[in-house]
Amino acid sequence: MNLLRVNFNEAFRSLWGARQRSLLALIGIVIGIGSVIAMVSIGTIVQQESIRQFKDMGVDIVTIRRGFSESTAAPFRADVIARLPQEKPLISEVAPYVNSGGDYYRGRAKITLEQMGVTAAFFSINKLAAAQGRLLSDLDANRYCCVVGAELAGFLRQNGMPEPVGGRITVNDRAYTIVGVLAPSAEGGLRPFGINRGMLAPLATAQRSFPNADINTILARVAPNTPIERLKAEVSDYFAKKSRGAQVEITSAEELIERMKKQMQMFSLLLGAIGSIALIVGGIGVMNVMLISVTERRSEIGLRRALGAQRGDIQSQFLIESVILCLVGGLIGIVLGTGVAFGFARLSQWQFVMSYTSVMLGFGVSTLVGVFCGFYPARTASRLDPIKALRS
Amino acid sequence: MNEQMLDIVDIRKSYRVGPTEVNVLKGINLAVARGELLAIIGPSGSGKSTLMHMLGLLEKPDSGLYSIDGTRVTYDDDRALSALRNRKIGFVFQQYHLLPKLTALENVGVPLTYRGMAADEIRKRSRTYLAKVDIEYRADHRPNEMSGGQQQRVAIARALVGQPAIILADEPTGALDQKTGEEIMELFRRLNREDGITIVIITHNPALACQCGRAVKIIDGMIYSA
Repeated sequence: MNLLRVNFNEAFRSLWGARQRSLLALIGIVIGIGSVIAMVSIGTIVQQESIRQFKDMGVDIVTIRRGFSESTAAPFRADVIARLPQEKPLISEVAPYVNSGGDYYRGRAKITLEQMGVTAAFFSINKLAAAQGRLLSDLDANRYCCVVGAELAGFLRQNGMPEPVGGRITVNDRAYTIVGVLAPSAEGGLRPFGINRGMLAPLATAQRSFPNADINTILARVAPNTPIERLKAEVSDYFAKKSRGAQVEITSAEELIERMKKQMQMFSLLLGAIGSIALIVGGIGVMNVMLISVTERRSEIGLRRALGAQRGDIQSQFLIESVILCLVGGLIGIVLGTGVAFGFARLSQWQFVMSYTSVMLGFGVSTLVGVFCGFYPARTASRLDPIKALRS
Repeated sequence: MNEQMLDIVDIRKSYRVGPTEVNVLKGINLAVARGELLAIIGPSGSGKSTLMHMLGLLEKPDSGLYSIDGTRVTYDDDRALSALRNRKIGFVFQQYHLLPKLTALENVGVPLTYRGMAADEIRKRSRTYLAKVDIEYRADHRPNEMSGGQQQRVAIARALVGQPAIILADEPTGALDQKTGEEIMELFRRLNREDGITIVIITHNPALACQCGRAVKIIDGMIYSA
């Protein structure tokens, strides 16, 4: 026990004695561990963030998509969809929608807007709120009115429409009265793409006037604790009967989250692997420093052997030295890497999550690097011929 | 109680230098009695360093038997050999070989750390032996703050601290001026006389040999009584 403590003291003294060299090796390890920690933490933050976007919308949402494999399948019919919640109580709310993109000009200014035809349920399922004016209701059916996304509203304000609510925009030769402006919403999850640049008109209006008015996707809210397999079976069955053998693909938020988690794990692994390259370089630095240390202290090693040190004593002395070097480097690296991840989260305005696994990983890996890179030099030291070592 | 502290019988050692085989020790027989102060004299190249390393368990002979304090030495187990070296042998070198970053007191304690002894006990014993060689007042100094003679005294304290069977001194006065050298020799004689410590001094200097109880010569790998 005392020998261990003596070895510890000795290791600190020796590292301190050659502090310039130790510092260089330390920097290598700090960068190595730091980059692994930063990479893994950023991976975790990205993962948490995208899952959060899903959860934002609620995990009880599914999308029902028309199967494209069946070439004869007709698009969903609005009346068939509307009856789905009554016939299949597993579904509590449906929001079919149509969408098509296109350029919209005001003077010479251009924006790529998303024309969408929606029902009132679309707003509640997507958790969309009005920043100004009102949302659409089912009483708006067939009217030429719309609500606009936050980004589109901003575009209109900058281009000659200081007050979008009450204004009119003309798309594909149809003029729509703007009744509301949406609050900004995050992209991602099951939420359709481009709502912020969206011009959302009533579904019935859209089906008459949009160039592409087929309903291909339905968002639906599912009753709590519904087994997804049963849901799939019942919904497929419903559409098969009502729409002459139409096939549907059903994706739940939970499934997507699972799939995404798997992808993110791969992503984290990849980032970790990239960080590991820096770590390997750092480890080689440590090994180099340890080898120099062994060479410089040959006569000390010889003397210790003459005074009765076993090979194992010498080996553990140098191993401890390299592990201490790596652990100190690892500690600084963990702090630094976490700091980088924090900065990254701040810059992208994402929520910072402390990844404890990566901290444990950092400690574990730095100890491992210490043992691994210290082993060869320590072994070399313990195998020195005491007589030759003493003479040098 | 074994009367023979060291007993070597027909020890041989040869090295390969390039294509030629050099016989360094050609069948050495030597017995050192308990409490003896023995000088081994020989010119350089006579094989005395090799003999010293052999006696100090740092080198394995090609053949022959070696017993130390009644224990037959076997060479195949590093742990056993290191333990034997730690407990039975106290080295004193020409160049002192103190660890530069440790104080005199810590230097003296190094052999005891390899016995797993408690730190307090090590300090206590180290201080006792520093006192024994009249250098306790330098206990907290580092080697580079001490003169050659003082460093050699610390080294002798380090050799004594483990209460070994024998002190092996390799040219212990070789790096010292004459007066200091004589003081170190006087210290060896005193330790031998007062504490009955068995000491083997290896030197090329016949004048030192006169101050020892017995002297043997090693010439060309063979021992002759002087």
